[in-house]
Amino acid sequence: MLEFLQICIGGLVVGSIYAAIALGFSLVYRVTGAINLSQGGFALFAAMIGYTLSVTAGFPLWLAIPLAVAATAAVGIAIGAFTFAPALDRLSNANVLMLTAGLLTGIEGFSLIVWGSQPYATPTFSGEEPLAFGPIRVPTQAFWVFGATALCIGALWFLIARTRLGKALRACAENPHAAGLMGINVPRMTLLSFGLATLIAAIAGVIVAPTTSLQFDTGRLFTISGFVAAAIGGIASFPGAVAGGLFLGLATQLSTAYISSLFSTAIALLVLLAVLIFRPSGLVGSGASRRQDTRDEVKVTGHAARLPTRLAVPLAALALLTAVLVPLVVTDNGILSGLVIAGILFMTLMGLDVLMGYAGQVSLGQAGFMAIGGYTSGYLSINYELSPALSIFGGIGVSLLCALVLSVVTLRLRGLYLALATLAFGLLVDSCAVGFLDITGGPSGLVGIPSFSVGGFQFGTPRAMYYVVLVLDVIILVGLVGAMRSGFGRALKAIRSDQMAAAALGINIVRYKLAAFMISVTLASVAGSLYAFFFNFLSPEMVGTGRSLELVAMLIVGGESTLVGGLFGALLLTLLPTVFQPLAIYKTFASGVLLVASFLYLPQGIFGAIVQMTLRMLRPPRVAPRESPPEASARASR
Amino acid sequence: MTVSAATAIASAEPTSVLSVRHLAKSFGGLRAINDVSFDVAPDKITAMIGPNGAGKTTVFNLVTNILSKDAGQVLFFGRDLSKMSAVKIASSGLIRTFQSARVFPGMTAIENVMVGGHRLASHSLASQALWLKRARGEESRLRRRAEEMLELVGLATFRDTHATELPMGAQKLLEVIRALMAQPKLLCLDEPAAGLNDSETRELAKLLRAIRALGIPILLVEHNMPLVMNVADAVVVIESGAMIARGTPAMIQNDARVIEAYLGRHDHAAS
Repeated sequence: MLEFLQICIGGLVVGSIYAAIALGFSLVYRVTGAINLSQGGFALFAAMIGYTLSVTAGFPLWLAIPLAVAATAAVGIAIGAFTFAPALDRLSNANVLMLTAGLLTGIEGFSLIVWGSQPYATPTFSGEEPLAFGPIRVPTQAFWVFGATALCIGALWFLIARTRLGKALRACAENPHAAGLMGINVPRMTLLSFGLATLIAAIAGVIVAPTTSLQFDTGRLFTISGFVAAAIGGIASFPGAVAGGLFLGLATQLSTAYISSLFSTAIALLVLLAVLIFRPSGLVGSGASRRQDTRDEVKVTGHAARLPTRLAVPLAALALLTAVLVPLVVTDNGILSGLVIAGILFMTLMGLDVLMGYAGQVSLGQAGFMAIGGYTSGYLSINYELSPALSIFGGIGVSLLCALVLSVVTLRLRGLYLALATLAFGLLVDSCAVGFLDITGGPSGLVGIPSFSVGGFQFGTPRAMYYVVLVLDVIILVGLVGAMRSGFGRALKAIRSDQMAAAALGINIVRYKLAAFMISVTLASVAGSLYAFFFNFLSPEMVGTGRSLELVAMLIVGGESTLVGGLFGALLLTLLPTVFQPLAIYKTFASGVLLVASFLYLPQGIFGAIVQMTLRMLRPPRVAPRESPPEASARASR
Repeated sequence: MTVSAATAIASAEPTSVLSVRHLAKSFGGLRAINDVSFDVAPDKITAMIGPNGAGKTTVFNLVTNILSKDAGQVLFFGRDLSKMSAVKIASSGLIRTFQSARVFPGMTAIENVMVGGHRLASHSLASQALWLKRARGEESRLRRRAEEMLELVGLATFRDTHATELPMGAQKLLEVIRALMAQPKLLCLDEPAAGLNDSETRELAKLLRAIRALGIPILLVEHNMPLVMNVADAVVVIESGAMIARGTPAMIQNDARVIEAYLGRHDHAAS
């Protein structure tokens, strides 16, 4: 009993932090309709600055902590003003969510560059000696955590419910267009909500820092826990966010203590998936659900870049020829390995593009299927000595089975809930990969996976593997181009832009979404298997949530709904760090910044930019005057 | 089949494409639709008119099952539509358009029209992925038909323009020909003339007659009286959720209750 109480107190400490971050989610969601995944990053950022100021620079805590919070809030508002606020006007909510995922990755990468990958422990605010209440001992930091969280909740409640500013914020939540017409500065309110969320996250970050060890990627855990907590409680409700946070904290601590630390996240995620199935609006049902018609889904993404056929065919032939010749010229195994990895990721990206770019289904857990494919075929080939080629099909089978189960959840969901469900799935796979020691080898990975081979022929060298991947990529690309330029692709695009109108023309939405999902899962699974065969090794972090976010970044940076765009993203983010080793540490930072920058400045991605440049070069401005006038006059006469 | 269904069929005109019987729908305590019955005859344009808020679009949504009805029956070629999903209804040949032009953004005009042909396409995903000859053949046939459709309404020059960049009138026409691509057995148009200027409306009237000439019956919900009087073969008038008149355009124009519904009572107007 004593132990139970002790654990509960620990759970409430953790839960308070989750609650604070969930509160930030709820605030931004209610004001803007978008999800801001960057908060956990800011929490970590504040904690790290607090560490640097207090420990490295020797500032007293009472100065270092407020400074860290203020600095983080200032940085947050600046970043919000240049990214989040303009993005809201241009992008669909699903894309804003991915943009904030890019911000999170960027902050993570920045922390990696500045603070490295070692863990940090910050000093507690008021001594290490816990307070004793009879037999129960409570660390003093817990009181700081409870106090700060209660203060945040109280202040936020006062602001929203009792002030003029709060009324303006609530008006934006109800209907931003009408609020704008009433003279409320909607962009400023958007920024204010973003800044407040950052402030809350920063406070949470510095307060929680002494109770845990911090690392450059701890921010991701804050974000995910806060997001999960908000979704469990009900994302549009402040009390729901707090309740969800406390619940999640208790649930994870109790399951760590009584079941297994390896599965503590898995249990929280299963709760989340159950909530998404049975009560999508959260356990604390929200009276104030957002009106979906006022802001959501009005900004459907722009037009995908496409080369005219007369250019596409020769250019594709040229690209293929280059690809075939590269290994004959490049002898450096490092570069070849980078190319093989890029090619393997490109396979996943083509599937992800079908799912996201064409069918409009957000997926933040695509690497989860790489993991399932990789681990299954690795396990089969090690333990049953199944030939690698056959074991790939085993991986596909298991992946499709998992996908079918997951689709029970995802087929009903859209937008942020879909993003959340896929994220949760990726994390679930992640924690299973860590937890099932006997099958996956746990955190240290599965070793001894054989190289890829077909009928006795070993593809052990990077060069041999390069050709395997090239052949598969070309076959898949040709097939998908065929499908996407025909009725199948058109149906997906129709579903993406207007489900109801698509259904009214007889397009079976469920069937097409499922087909797109299955295609993406199959490709991710095959890619995961090849990945495992190539490295002869697979560890959870190689195919974890970081990888999923990186895949999204590659797709967006390369160019969505183009199929080939992903290749550019994969090459950029895989090859550059391989070729220029000193750059490797900047990779995470670069992928985050590039993702955000592409969304804002290069919505068609690198491929889109190349296509436009090519078309502009081939169309000299005033050379064919005979062709343009009739067209212009026809346009004018209409 | 229930007794009431049997009588409904017996009472329906034997040749009707769509027969709506005793349709009713309440929203909370409000009776939005009360006992509406009408038929759509083959090869005819049937128009449903009524003042703002009369419940025309509600009837439309009840017929196509976007809303579920409280009572009544909708038979399409003798088949009960009430248990069918929007996709099934569309696959059975009843194609509708929407009040606000819902072209697919991010797709060009011709792609939009080609989506309309989806219902009839038989090519499988595999045959498309393998670039099989029959899939490609079907694709180019579809493209040719879509081009003809664009030609028909004078939008051929816009074939590669993104649909959302077209003027409103063109988007409306695009939506109609997209529906037409599905070779409907009944075409239901929800206020196709809303937002169109006079010349665009004339273009639309021409198109509607052309569709009728193809033997496709039309159920038209419309606000624009000149258009309705111009093209409709039969008119159903709805006011406050109830049907107050039906007949030919000439009959409707002289119906005292219709005039009252639109212009108010004569003594009110005088005072």
